[in-house]
Amino acid sequence: MWWYLLKRLALSVVIILLAVAALFLMLHSIPGDPVSIALGPRATPEVQAAYAAKMHLDKPLYYQFLIFAGNVLQGDLGSDVFSNRSVALTLSEQLPYTIALAVAALGWAALVGIPLGCLSAIRPNSWLDRITGIISVGTIAVPSFLVSIWAILLFSITLRWLPVIGAGEEGDILSQLRHLILPAFAVGLGWVGYLARMVRASMLEVMGENYIRSARAFGLRPRTIVFRYALKVAILPTITLIGVGFGGLLSGTVFAEIIFSRPGVGKIIYDMVLARNFPVVQGAVLVTIALYVVVTLIADLMVSWLDPRVRESL
Amino acid sequence: MRTDSHSRRQFLQTAAFAGTASLVGSFPGISWSASDGTLTVRFDREMESLDPGYYVGGHPPNDVNWCVMPALVHYGYKDGQAIWVPSPFVESVELRDATNIDFTLKSGLMWSGGNGELTTEDVAYSYDRMKESEWKGDYVAYDHVEIKDKYSGTIVLNQAFSPFMTTTLASGTGIIVCKKAVEAAGGRYTVDIPATCGPYVMEHKQAQYVKLRPNPEWTGAKPAYDNIDCLFVTEDEAGALAFEAGELDCAKITSNSYARYQKELPPNAKLTVAGALQYMWMGMNIENPKLQDIKVRQAIQHAVDQASIIQGAYAGTAEPSFGVVCPGLVGRRLETSYSYDPAKAKAMLDEAGVSGLTLTLRTLNAQERVLAAQIIQANLAQIGVTVEIIPLDSGPFWEMGQESKGETWKDLELWIMRFGSGPDPYEPFQWFVRDQVGIWNWERWSSDEFEDLFKQLVSVSEVDERHKIAIRMQEIMEETGAYVWLTHEPEVFIHRADIATQFAPSGEMQLGYFKPV
Repeated sequence: MWWYLLKRLALSVVIILLAVAALFLMLHSIPGDPVSIALGPRATPEVQAAYAAKMHLDKPLYYQFLIFAGNVLQGDLGSDVFSNRSVALTLSEQLPYTIALAVAALGWAALVGIPLGCLSAIRPNSWLDRITGIISVGTIAVPSFLVSIWAILLFSITLRWLPVIGAGEEGDILSQLRHLILPAFAVGLGWVGYLARMVRASMLEVMGENYIRSARAFGLRPRTIVFRYALKVAILPTITLIGVGFGGLLSGTVFAEIIFSRPGVGKIIYDMVLARNFPVVQGAVLVTIALYVVVTLIADLMVSWLDPRVRESL
Repeated sequence: MRTDSHSRRQFLQTAAFAGTASLVGSFPGISWSASDGTLTVRFDREMESLDPGYYVGGHPPNDVNWCVMPALVHYGYKDGQAIWVPSPFVESVELRDATNIDFTLKSGLMWSGGNGELTTEDVAYSYDRMKESEWKGDYVAYDHVEIKDKYSGTIVLNQAFSPFMTTTLASGTGIIVCKKAVEAAGGRYTVDIPATCGPYVMEHKQAQYVKLRPNPEWTGAKPAYDNIDCLFVTEDEAGALAFEAGELDCAKITSNSYARYQKELPPNAKLTVAGALQYMWMGMNIENPKLQDIKVRQAIQHAVDQASIIQGAYAGTAEPSFGVVCPGLVGRRLETSYSYDPAKAKAMLDEAGVSGLTLTLRTLNAQERVLAAQIIQANLAQIGVTVEIIPLDSGPFWEMGQESKGETWKDLELWIMRFGSGPDPYEPFQWFVRDQVGIWNWERWSSDEFEDLFKQLVSVSEVDERHKIAIRMQEIMEETGAYVWLTHEPEVFIHRADIATQFAPSGEMQLGYFKPV
């Protein structure tokens, strides 16, 4: 297990380095002069030159990358070019909101999707399976932004039960939870379908295995067979999917953060790309990539812990 | 007898129900709006800088600065016209003559953080500093401040400059900063103001809100609202939805929402057009070989149907444009020398001996502008001109006509452009003088008469005379054939009907003047 962990950690570092390098190149190849975009049309040539020097934009691209990489290795993500605030501080403020949204969205999706998948698999081709199938495909097919709009129209404008914008009052957990409900619902709805289909397919495969047939022959209760023996194996690909999904949501919740005006990493990245505020974008993407890799690593470790065959495959 | 598992299940069910009920609110019809004496408004973007010398755009920094920082004058209105009025920070402001402005500050107005009292020295320092800043263009006519005593002084201009009060002192660049605190901060700042002085103090949380709370040290007149929460809602439609949900009391809206609300307003809501100080036109590069012949350019002027653009792209909410001077200002034109006439346009093209003309039309990739471009594309197709629309991100768009940014300006043919203006006709014309060719004058024409008139417009203060000058300057622009005037987009806000609002002519909220009806 330790050897496996070591190999996975080394692979993670390589992935982070490659991703950051690719991001750096892509970011700097976006058309438009970052100086004039950042400072606006009225900036004087002197101010533009000072900005370019401050951002090292007057240096070759490889040099800019080396400076960035060097600073990162020293734990310095740089500072916002407009406000001079530390990027690390900005991200530390935004990240909890994104993590909360991703956890809530995937959490409720898993709580609903996994049992739905199990139910479908226990009685394949029954009416329950068909209804579950329709619900699953339906939730996957409906775009999340549409769900957001309809949820706002129904729950916020018509019924006025839930708030639309913001993340709630600081220090007021109840207020923050209220503000989390609609975004989490919108982000997680599609995942209900994904998880239900994934669990159903895995369960059907596992339920045909010999050891399940043996369990039945021994007269174990169906519930015990499903939840104690079959689900333990069938859940493995779902854990990987949740891990990848969680990592993706760290920057993929941007639509919900924009529509619901929630603070978060995705929204910061979006806004800062438009403003060509490179230090914030680079810092934010670096952090999300690192988190993505860590979460995927944790998911892989969980899978390898549950299934020893995986450990030997790397 | 009940089993343990059964009662645990019951407990969990009850807890889940209670939790859900408390989360969603037990009763329908709850409004989450802060209507308890707190005004909640929308800011459509984050603030990059509150330093008047280094603004990046006027809204929302002006909205905030006018609440927490001093200025000699503010915007007011008389007979629907934007004028300057003395601010709550002064005893008096008077124009002694064309180049001298006397002022007297109120005594006892304290800067935060123990930085002392607001004095004439702060005024002089603030304006002197602006001359070296990114916004020094607003201070070309400013020379110095003569300090008479702690509270009185005279602003001395180096030339007669009639727009100075409205376009400089009343605007965001007229903000006064605390000399002691700004010097201590190194001479400039961003969103953390070194010292404030005003009816409110601010708390800013990046990407979330600006909260304005009563300044305990403020000795001037109290504004109507004790608390103002300004929430950053960058998505336009989200802002409109939040207003409908009762979470915002005032929100800027788009043309689409404006058209929708004109048909059916939510309960207790009111629409206010804060101004239309934006002018949009389709420009033509007169140096481009395809457009060098003025007859071709004039044919294009006749081929574009402005009414269709206003209806199709702006749902009828935008004002028709006849020049660069915006509605409500001295010098606004009410007609053009050309009119929509495809037959005449085709005849002019034939006269120029042009056929099979293909042109590119560049525009910002924004919904209304792309729609306008598509209508123009259809209009020009009627006279046999094929138009290829090139939608662009703001980065490449704003530098495509600038010689300092590469060679793209040489390939420019047609483009849709929109500029913002201040409440004086001087502002829009400054971008079309000879010095601006290759900077912001992308049409690349120049005229001696235009240059002379521009100098007169700056120095003349008599209203009728300024009107005539501005009209003639727009005629000169139009005669180049390089302009098809399109629209003046309004700045529209939806707000609660029981709130009396006040906006700067450029569309910023003057939150300190908002009050309950």
